[in-house]
Amino acid sequence: MAMEKRLQKELQALVNDPPVGIKVDADQIGQNLSEWLVNVDGAPGSIYNGEKFQLQFKFGSRYPFESPQVVFVGPNIPVHPHVYSNGHICLSILTDDWSPALSVQSVCLSVVSMLSSCKEKKRPPDNAIYVKTCSKNPKKTRWWYHGKQCYHSEYKTSLLGMSSMGINT
Amino acid sequence: MATAADSQDGEEATPSPNSSENGTFECNICLDTARDAVVSMCGHLFCWPCLHQWLETRPTRQVCPVCKAGISKEKVVPLYGRGSTNQQDPRDKVPPRPAGQRSEPENNTNFPGFGFGGDGGLHFSFGIGAFPFTFFASTLNLNDGRPQPPSAGTPQYAEEQFLSKVFLWVAVLFIFWLLIA
Ligand SMILES: [Zn+2]
Ligand SMILES: [Zn+2]
Repeated sequence: MAMEKRLQKELQALVNDPPVGIKVDADQIGQNLSEWLVNVDGAPGSIYNGEKFQLQFKFGSRYPFESPQVVFVGPNIPVHPHVYSNGHICLSILTDDWSPALSVQSVCLSVVSMLSSCKEKKRPPDNAIYVKTCSKNPKKTRWWYHGKQCYHSEYKTSLLGMSSMGINT
Repeated sequence: MATAADSQDGEEATPSPNSSENGTFECNICLDTARDAVVSMCGHLFCWPCLHQWLETRPTRQVCPVCKAGISKEKVVPLYGRGSTNQQDPRDKVPPRPAGQRSEPENNTNFPGFGFGGDGGLHFSFGIGAFPFTFFASTLNLNDGRPQPPSAGTPQYAEEQFLSKVFLWVAVLFIFWLLIA
């Protein structure tokens, strides 16, 4: 199966040659390649320096043609304007800008870089509403990548994905 | 370089299977050595089956997975290595895109309101911020070999004029609402 073969390669590369601040536990992944936990460190020099986070990846059978589901899990969810308190992340490469040339490693590096560019620890302004109403799967959220602000709406309730635009400004 | 693999005493005669040098010829999608290799105009290497599947995944937005340059089936070059037994163009192997994927409309309604589309397709999209989204996701193909619209004066013509006006108004309202929302 193409998806498993590719994940095997990615896992091997991450275990053999991990980038600084990114650690994957191959034993924990074991036989079930479709779900990974990756430990990510806040970058030195950023406001998340010294913090430890955990990203959960879930891969569908159409990976890498479709993006994985990626959320923060565990006791420490970074406080960031694009990270909801339930761990959902508003990052365009996880949905619309996904490409099969991206990988677990490049997603992790993008997430770390997103954290690093932040100057003030703040939740998204619509965090409370979103966490109450969102689907468990962040890919079901229609994200709007508009400058520094994140917008979202649920696929199921939206006409052409736009109905709740503006409720969160 | 062609002889390096055959020479017994050359330094590069026995590259390890994991040497990063090999990565040069790995498909950018499956990360394996590219089979039925094709290279895009932007220089990125893929297995043809892998690239084909990606182009099918997002038919309306065909971009290079690596650099996001525009890409299409016609604009990739097949690579033939020395001594490869099969010189068939890999693009012929994967069944070509089914021609009937886009279903034709029930009647031959034409939309004069959008009638600047010659014989090609008309594709509508606009974006907010970094996220372009597709408006009326399907491509509206006009006049591509279907019967000509009915001539003026017939009831059918009037009906189509009406339909197209409704369509146009919906679009205008939609854009207006988008601006004020
Ligand atoms: Zn491939
Ligand atoms: Zn490219």
